[in-house]
Amino acid sequence: MTTASRQARIGRIGLYALLVWVCLFFSIPLLVVISTSLKTSDEVRTFSIFTLPAAPSIAAWIKAWASACTGLNCGGVRVGFWNSVRILIPSVIISVTAGSVTGYALSHWRIRGANVIMLLLLLCAFIPYQVILYPLVKTFSTIGIYSSLPCIIAVHVIFGLPVMSLLFRNFYAGLPEELVKAARIDGAGFWRIFVSVMLPMSVNILIVATILQTTGIWNDYLLGLIFAGRDNMPMTVQLNAIATTSTGIIEYNVNTAAALLTALPPLLVYFVSGRYFVRGITAGAVKG
Amino acid sequence: MSAVSVVGLSKSFGTLQVLRDIHLSIDAGDFTVLLGPSGCGKTTLLNAIAGLEDTNAGVIEIDGADVTHREPSKRGIAMVFQSYALYPTMNVRKNLSFGLRVRSVPRQEVTRRVDWAARLLQIDELLERKPSQLSGGQRQRVAIGRALVQQAKVFLFDEPLSNLDAKLRTEMRVELKRLHKELGATIVYVTHDQIEAMTLATRIAVMRAGRIEQYAAPDDLYETPQTLFVAAFVGSPAMNFMPGRLDSGAVHVGRARLPLNGYRFRSSPVTGQEVVVGIRPEHVVLARGEPPEQTIVANALFMEPMGADTLGWFQFGEHRLSARLIPQVARGLSGEVRLSLLSDHVSLFDPASEVRL
Amino acid sequence: MATVASQAVGRAYRPRSLAAKIALTPTILVMLGCYYASITWTVYISMTRSFLLPVYHFAGATQYHRLFATPRWQVAYTNMFLFGALDILGTLAVGVLLAVLLDRSVRFEGIFRTILLYPLSISFIVTGLTWQWILSPTIGVQQLVRSFGWSDFVFDWITQPDTAIYTLVFAGIWHQSGLIMAIMLAGLRGVDREIWRAARIEGIPVWRTYISIVLPILRPLMVTCVVLIAIAVVKSYELVVAMTNGGPGFSSDLPGKFVVDFEFERANIGQASAAATVMLGSVLAIVVPYLYFELARKNR
Repeated sequence: MTTASRQARIGRIGLYALLVWVCLFFSIPLLVVISTSLKTSDEVRTFSIFTLPAAPSIAAWIKAWASACTGLNCGGVRVGFWNSVRILIPSVIISVTAGSVTGYALSHWRIRGANVIMLLLLLCAFIPYQVILYPLVKTFSTIGIYSSLPCIIAVHVIFGLPVMSLLFRNFYAGLPEELVKAARIDGAGFWRIFVSVMLPMSVNILIVATILQTTGIWNDYLLGLIFAGRDNMPMTVQLNAIATTSTGIIEYNVNTAAALLTALPPLLVYFVSGRYFVRGITAGAVKG
Repeated sequence: MSAVSVVGLSKSFGTLQVLRDIHLSIDAGDFTVLLGPSGCGKTTLLNAIAGLEDTNAGVIEIDGADVTHREPSKRGIAMVFQSYALYPTMNVRKNLSFGLRVRSVPRQEVTRRVDWAARLLQIDELLERKPSQLSGGQRQRVAIGRALVQQAKVFLFDEPLSNLDAKLRTEMRVELKRLHKELGATIVYVTHDQIEAMTLATRIAVMRAGRIEQYAAPDDLYETPQTLFVAAFVGSPAMNFMPGRLDSGAVHVGRARLPLNGYRFRSSPVTGQEVVVGIRPEHVVLARGEPPEQTIVANALFMEPMGADTLGWFQFGEHRLSARLIPQVARGLSGEVRLSLLSDHVSLFDPASEVRL
Repeated sequence: MATVASQAVGRAYRPRSLAAKIALTPTILVMLGCYYASITWTVYISMTRSFLLPVYHFAGATQYHRLFATPRWQVAYTNMFLFGALDILGTLAVGVLLAVLLDRSVRFEGIFRTILLYPLSISFIVTGLTWQWILSPTIGVQQLVRSFGWSDFVFDWITQPDTAIYTLVFAGIWHQSGLIMAIMLAGLRGVDREIWRAARIEGIPVWRTYISIVLPILRPLMVTCVVLIAIAVVKSYELVVAMTNGGPGFSSDLPGKFVVDFEFERANIGQASAAATVMLGSVLAIVVPYLYFELARKNR
């Protein structure tokens, strides 16, 4: 072996070693949380989260799910789970639909000031929630639906609209305009073209958008805290409540189990969708 | 001593054999062109000489040294790429000098070489500009300049003119020929354009399916092609091919009997041997009083005016023939025509092996 | 996203349609009504004497004077820069490094990417809690190292007022490096491969090629990454809540949390609006120049 190729070989080994180390750093938090959640209540008393469970058991998981206490209630994160589901499904459906129609309208139809609209939408996407929270609260309570399921769904749709619109707009702008031309010659109008021509070609971007919204809405804390109302608190809010009620001994095994349960749905979506997830998160940034 | 010597070179990508047992000996100062259709292996061969690709078997020598296992930067070569591959964030001067600076060449020497190359290529006005501010032809010159400052022994060109429009391409061809003459450099050049090859090269290696079919000067390739492929590939419009049968001192084509005076056979011809007769369009003429047994009768199909002459197309049995004709004469042609084949310029090939007889 | 603004409605075929305009109306109403009207209201309130309830009496910059005189805000605001600078630098460095490593054509790239990207799918609450547990002196790293024998080892940043804010950097880098890696890797893969070959022939070593040639080509992309991370920093709320809840005291507070606390717990909408407007200003100060430069670059 020549020195050049020996150096190359050492370089490769170093490369892989570095990657493996970084991956360990990235995986350790998850592994630590998993291992802690499998510990029994005794082990949790004096320990470090880095030790492995002596006798792994899922008792903590069951407790987290069904009977963990969030201050007043002791119904476990199960309640929060179903709340999150009830919030998630309508919100995702409405925001993805609204975004796709908006993006479609902006990309293939003549709208005066379309560029201005897109710029305004772009700015909306960057605006921190905190800036418009209070006016929204006031508006919703004036209408009378503040602190309820419809309220939180509406809020998620509002906050999802800019990103979704721009995501779909970029996608549809990439489709050839000849499709629209041909369809118009066939006599189709705005909605017909959308349903018959655009939607069938949109499967990939719909998956990406759904993943993006699902992850964002499921993981949301702030909006759920403020707008959902006590009966509809999402899982993330419940989790934080459980983890921060420090009455007596902190049951780390239950807390970590609750955290895992909360993280599981988007994590599963991530592992299953892989490619689409990556496309979703980079779509916002790498355009061009 | 040859500047570049390739012996027994083979390369395969998995099961695909891309280069088969290549032997090539390029003399110093030669302008060698690797010519062939896409997929013939010419770019792979160039990359192998450059050291960008490993090989499965064979030896590569540059200037007498065995460089088969050496890194590209240690082979004494410089390369110009199809897309120029200029460093976009650096200006022209930095593009030209970067490689030298990395090799710790003293600054004065760097400036001297950069200025020399810039003047030679007439890009000294552009030294402060970035590649995005240059035209295609200017970028091409900078790419060549970057190769020049390396003061390499061998220059490799990978289809450098294919991204240019036709007019620019002809200009750059003249430039390249001028550079070659001024510098006396050894050049290995890849192209699929045979006109480019014919005008630039001192010797051309015609390649097909991983093998070199013939390596010779342009004139030799044109007049005495060694294989059927070379005969068909080189020359535009292409050579005509017809089946024939050998006789003593002549070849029978259709009902004609064409005398073969002075045809240099490689091995003694056998009477009755089936051959493929190749003859170029400029050697197919309208019969003007030759004895009828030396002419053939063909049907005029259509005429293609090409300016100085007209290419006439004729149907001869199952084959189509083309002939270079004077436009005035060609205009009136139709129906059956008597053609004379100038057999002094004929090429004969074995139908099975496709090798010249 | 910047391309969106610059992909101007040019010579493309765009027919008119009333249905299109109608379909667009809800979005425009939401945008104007929910976003821009709300922003205007918030900014206006920040310039009034409002306390518990909105008081529409103009007071100029009074709220801002009071805001910047509040110790808690001073801490929160400076924290944003401290946390932001480290988070941006760290995330960018790690992300670029990972992208470069993966660009070297490694096997098992899929597995590496899966591991490096999963933190992005996890809520900031879970991220914050997890890192709180890991960095906790009682059960986390300090405890671990001590259990190996180094009984004097101290790593209690998260419980110390001076250092609590820096602990957020760990969580931030862990969460977002994957995103930067994915973006930069896509960029690296878009670089003309012939530039690599040209550099190799000139004898330029791989690391030098990255530093002097390839990464400079991706400078605009890196700026985009910085902008994305910076905006996430300004918006930070859930990470602080879960990791330190602003504590100890308010030493690790951030503007995002300040606004929410003052709006809902302390019920001081005047101060909250002022703080929110400062947040808005910070975001605009990043985004507007960025968009401007992106547009200028594309139109060149």
